[in-house]
Amino acid sequence: MDALDGWWDDYFWGSVVVAEVFVVALILTILFGLIGAAAKLSGNRAAKAIASGYTVVFRGTPEILVLLLIYFGSAITLTAIAQIFDPEIKFVDLPPFWAGSFAIALIVGSYATETFRGAFLGVAPGQVEAARALGLSKLQTFVHVRIPAMWRLALPPFGNHMLSLIKDTALIAIIGLEETLFVAAQAIGTTNKPFTMYIVVGAIYLGFSTIITLAVMALEKYANRHLEIAR
Amino acid sequence: MSFDMALILDSIPKMLMGIGLTLQLLFLSAALGLALAIILLLMRISGRWYLAAPTMAYIYIFRGTPILVQIFIIYYGLPQLEFVRDSIFWPILREPFGCAILALTLNTAAYVSEILRGGVLGVDRGLKEAGAALGLRAPHRFIYITTPIAIRLALPAYSNDVISLMKSTALASTITLLDMTGIARTIVAETYAPYEIFISLMAIYLILTWMIQRSFGWVEKRMSRHVREEV
Amino acid sequence: MDSSNPVDIIHLENVNKFFGTFQALKNINLTVRKGERVVVCGPSGSCKSTLIRCINRLEEHNSGTITVNGHELTDDVKNIDAVRREVGMVFQDFNLFPHMTVVKNLMLAPKLVRKASRSEAYETAMRYLERVKIPEQADKYPSQLSGGQQQRVAIARALCMNPMVMLFDEPTSALDPEMIAEVLDVMTDLAREGMTMICVTHEMGFARSVADNVVFMDEGEIVEMNPPREFFDNPKSERTRLFLSQVLSY
Repeated sequence: MDALDGWWDDYFWGSVVVAEVFVVALILTILFGLIGAAAKLSGNRAAKAIASGYTVVFRGTPEILVLLLIYFGSAITLTAIAQIFDPEIKFVDLPPFWAGSFAIALIVGSYATETFRGAFLGVAPGQVEAARALGLSKLQTFVHVRIPAMWRLALPPFGNHMLSLIKDTALIAIIGLEETLFVAAQAIGTTNKPFTMYIVVGAIYLGFSTIITLAVMALEKYANRHLEIAR
Repeated sequence: MSFDMALILDSIPKMLMGIGLTLQLLFLSAALGLALAIILLLMRISGRWYLAAPTMAYIYIFRGTPILVQIFIIYYGLPQLEFVRDSIFWPILREPFGCAILALTLNTAAYVSEILRGGVLGVDRGLKEAGAALGLRAPHRFIYITTPIAIRLALPAYSNDVISLMKSTALASTITLLDMTGIARTIVAETYAPYEIFISLMAIYLILTWMIQRSFGWVEKRMSRHVREEV
Repeated sequence: MDSSNPVDIIHLENVNKFFGTFQALKNINLTVRKGERVVVCGPSGSCKSTLIRCINRLEEHNSGTITVNGHELTDDVKNIDAVRREVGMVFQDFNLFPHMTVVKNLMLAPKLVRKASRSEAYETAMRYLERVKIPEQADKYPSQLSGGQQQRVAIARALCMNPMVMLFDEPTSALDPEMIAEVLDVMTDLAREGMTMICVTHEMGFARSVADNVVFMDEGEIVEMNPPREFFDNPKSERTRLFLSQVLSY
């Protein structure tokens, strides 16, 4: 494994980039998912239609296309805007970090939309009726009955969305983000050991996936503590 | 900045030249992946740890790493290994098409095998007991009771996985293959018109997604004749 | 009693069964003669179902011996197969195969286990469907039938194997009240024709009119076993009295 000497630093910083993209994209995913679910559940027909279009398009087209569209599309738009002010400018783009985070969050957010919507509808109507019958206000019912029930329902599928997110970060190397896959490509340029270099990338991602899986398992255990058999 | 209709009309036929390759990648890896998934499933539920443990490791690794990394390991990485270059599979593995098929197959098999396992585990225990009480031996119970019910249970999740697989075929463009996405990227590199090209291609993929959903919907409907009609 | 006695079909001797550390069956001794109708009753959690599920080895007992028609139940798959061929079972949840039509449900086991031809299996199936009075439902799927009809199909399915013994595991507990009678009627007919049966049920009227012996179980033990007149009118044990006062009080 001498070939790896001198590259560990780069892999480490590449992993940090992966983690940063993940966190940013996770926040955006939750945001898009909540907005999408709210729109789908709202009585507003236009909002419903837009949200449905969103989930159909982003769940039905290849991730790489969405990424390329957003990166190159935003670049061409920004360049056009910049040239209004200064015709000398040749190229302006969104940094790959932001374009990439935004793109994968849009994609996974479309799945999260369905998850959040399903979780909202999955809360047993009897629970909500019982709360209302006991005299809780609509807001109190939402905070004390709906939300605690919802996040339990949403957690297992949302765990899968997080795994999709972490794996989708690899795509951003295609538009030049200096994450682990990008590091590997550089390392191959000097060492000519593609198998070794890409296996390291695989191992790093497996590590990330494992951490997420364990975290979700711990959360699920916490969420379902009321189901544990009393001893 | 305007939307260039002429360019779209000019590019769609060009991109459709790649649909044959996209569909080949899809159907071939779906078929091979399903076969491998069934083998993995049988190993996993065999009750023998030396068969189940490697299967679990396989599934863990392939579901825990990005498909893009898997494609790169196979296409760029394997040639580093001498025994691969010397093997009889080299004629397949030196070609990007063979590598793409191999990567997509190995990847989808991991997911599909878990989907099938979900179906098998979802079969009501009482039905298997009823079979046992009637004197049916384990192989007969598996063939006549567990399998047909498990297939029905697994079908919706399986259709989603076929759509995922279809989306993953677009990654073949990262290893020089000229599928629809590969052609689109070439056109964008020449024309610098990402909106026109990528959005039209997304529409084409959406039609494919829709066709896959309709086909599975039809099969599901045929297979669930036994479910009570709405009264 | 000797287990080789030809009129004894089922013989349980000192049977114990554990789920982990929980003892489900405690020293069960029970003999059922050919043609005898036994009703097992008792509070929920008394492991009545576990008892009859041991008789066709859906559950394994941990010690003691269970003999069915001369075959002792052990790990030997041959004996288990032999016993299951002779013992029919009806479940609380019917457990009809949802992906097969009614008649296919009935034909499956005769074809696979008895190696009957298609036409033989079909004839047998139709004969028993007529006997449970629903031949016209033959080509429907189980989910298209009412609960009572499904349970009658399940009885017919077990009868198609021409069993020597029928086990009923709370056959009416999952039914709406108005459907209980149609199932009990079929079971009563079966009893009149001389079928050997063991029936776990809460239907005390059925026990009184059909059973030769009523077994009362509590906490995994057989507390008392007597003919119905004796059992209902003059219960020996305090636990039986308490149970009867609870189930008969409404």
